[in-house]
Amino acid sequence: MKIALFIPCLVNQMMPDVGIATLEVLEKLGHQVILPEGQTCCGQPMTNSGCFDEAKNTTLKLLNAFKHVECDAIVCPAASCLVAAKENFHKFDNSPSAQIVIDKLYELTEFLHDIAPIKQFNHPVPSKVSLQMSCHGIRMLSLATPSESMGRQFNKVEAVLSAIDALEIVYPDPRDECCGFGGTFAVDEGAVSAKMGKDKAQAHAATGAEYVVGFDPSCLLHLDGMIRRQQLPITTRHIAQILNSAL
Amino acid sequence: MSSAQTKPATHAHKAEIFCRDEQRVNWHSKALWTLREKRDRAASQVPEWETLRKLGSHIKQHSLSHLADYLTEFESNCIANGIQVHWAKDAQEHNQITHNILAKHQVKKLVKSKSMLTEECHLNPYLEQRGIEVIDTDLGERIIQLAGQAPSHIVVPAIHLKKQEVGDLFHEKIGTQAGASDPTYLTRAARAHLREQFLSADAAMTGVNMAIADQGGIIVCTNEGNADMGVNLPSLQLHSMGIDKVIPNMDSAAVLLRTLARNATGQLITTYSSCYKAPKPGGEMHVIIVDNGRSEMLKDKILAKSLKCIRCGGCLNTCPVYRRSGGHSYNYTIPGPIGIAVGAQHDETHSSAWACTLCGSCSFVCPTKVPLDKIIAHQRYLKAQAQTLPYGKRHYMPLVGKLMANKTATNCAMTVARTSLNILPHRLLKPFSGAWGQHRELPQAPKASFDTWFKHNRGQK
Repeated sequence: MKIALFIPCLVNQMMPDVGIATLEVLEKLGHQVILPEGQTCCGQPMTNSGCFDEAKNTTLKLLNAFKHVECDAIVCPAASCLVAAKENFHKFDNSPSAQIVIDKLYELTEFLHDIAPIKQFNHPVPSKVSLQMSCHGIRMLSLATPSESMGRQFNKVEAVLSAIDALEIVYPDPRDECCGFGGTFAVDEGAVSAKMGKDKAQAHAATGAEYVVGFDPSCLLHLDGMIRRQQLPITTRHIAQILNSAL
Repeated sequence: MSSAQTKPATHAHKAEIFCRDEQRVNWHSKALWTLREKRDRAASQVPEWETLRKLGSHIKQHSLSHLADYLTEFESNCIANGIQVHWAKDAQEHNQITHNILAKHQVKKLVKSKSMLTEECHLNPYLEQRGIEVIDTDLGERIIQLAGQAPSHIVVPAIHLKKQEVGDLFHEKIGTQAGASDPTYLTRAARAHLREQFLSADAAMTGVNMAIADQGGIIVCTNEGNADMGVNLPSLQLHSMGIDKVIPNMDSAAVLLRTLARNATGQLITTYSSCYKAPKPGGEMHVIIVDNGRSEMLKDKILAKSLKCIRCGGCLNTCPVYRRSGGHSYNYTIPGPIGIAVGAQHDETHSSAWACTLCGSCSFVCPTKVPLDKIIAHQRYLKAQAQTLPYGKRHYMPLVGKLMANKTATNCAMTVARTSLNILPHRLLKPFSGAWGQHRELPQAPKASFDTWFKHNRGQK
């Protein structure tokens, strides 16, 4: 498939390794990968604070970067940004050309589970990983059944990772409580955000896992800051990095 | 805490004070999370749980969509049953109506069972100022009434107090032994104390969990039986309800009763779920139907959905922010996600709508599928429209918007940020990193952006 990468500003500026791993995973799986130019912020920091006027410009610039780009799918390694882009594109532009972009948007795990499943991994990853089931991915993108929901359960993240040899998957307790990042929440509500982050980082460390693995770079960035402050014996990895080492 | 003139503190400020005692935060958070775990166990034992949520949501949405019809049906059936029905457009009218009824009967002492609506209307001080003694009879409510505090939770109103604190309070107020904190001992003492109140009361007042339109009756749910103890003794009984409480029939009530207690505390059903539909022989039964801003909320499609709430408190128990900031930090009678949804417009500091990471757990816990995170986001939008954004957002958000929309400017700014993070010692940067650096290590910055890497390693495209 021909895939256009949607690399959110946080990944582009602060976590390029996540972008590189995503690119390499998709290339190893035989896809042709392009990076459309002119990508800006999805507008989430503004819209999450109710500031839609302030978000409009940057959102439309990002949307325009993908309009008329020839590709089969647009793949993003950040669930929260993807959800915001989907919602904000729709809010600010309801033209057919915007809808074409929206219909092609996938989060990386979602893409690898629903659209182009990985047939086989080549290398074992002998590590214990504690999965960070970030809120927007599970509750807005349906990557897994949130712990609040009853009935039939599914988990796309575990489904994708579980085919990797020697990889042990565990979960923190509570399983999917928010890490407390929440964008500007981390600054507006510094004390509560920090306490949530501390509790979450400790819950991951308590599993004895080597890595916290997640699909949302912003949560991982927050947890990384908490883990190093607490000097906990665990480090963060994006799911693309684990997949990349198994391919 | 604050005088009438001074503005209350923001949620963040109150939460920061709450968070200073970390052991207490851990205790508070765990007590509430235990309720969430009990809820999960109870819900998981009902195979049709998600169907019940859907049904509950439809029942409430349907009732709200036909509100005028159901309220008038309810009223005429109540009247046919011999119940006197009153309409109050706001808290003031509600309190006046209540006082008029009580004054007419020369009531000196009123026993009240739990009602968040009377808290919302500030009924207790209104009646006390007019010489009527009001006794809250729910144990948790009585505790906070004796302590002179507001409820910190809509189902377990004294959850913020430890048993030792309750012991000290009871020692001072109702004469229990000094230092005694055994819950059974304290509960028995409270029961004896409350029995005296029940026996000497002239009238009883309760809230309403559900008003049944085709019956002309109301349902009250308690675990302690205090509503029934109150109502069944004196000849005068009053019931206050918001207009949002009406539902079509007993079948609807059956659906909601199956989820209400399970979602609140993990019980299969509340110990007492009583239906009152007529005065006692020779007595009087009054129902006061209160708007107090609800019909205004109904005009806003998104805010309207918050009126589907059946007040189980499940969203508070699951909320990671509520559990770590306490119920007194929201500047409204009702705290937590539902408190923000229905009360952000009453918060003078305009900050409560930001006491949320938009994680969405509350919306998935809710037994009537109130989209709480969407409503909270909408409350933020309303604050932005009214130019009442908190935490300096009104000034910095336009700048962030401009910066983010300009790729060159973002790149320049972030190159400077990455370089600073790389070459300057972090202890030098910490004073400039605000709340982030106070609690977390600063990010380990890469040398270059992904864009740059891509250009070098994958050519032009």
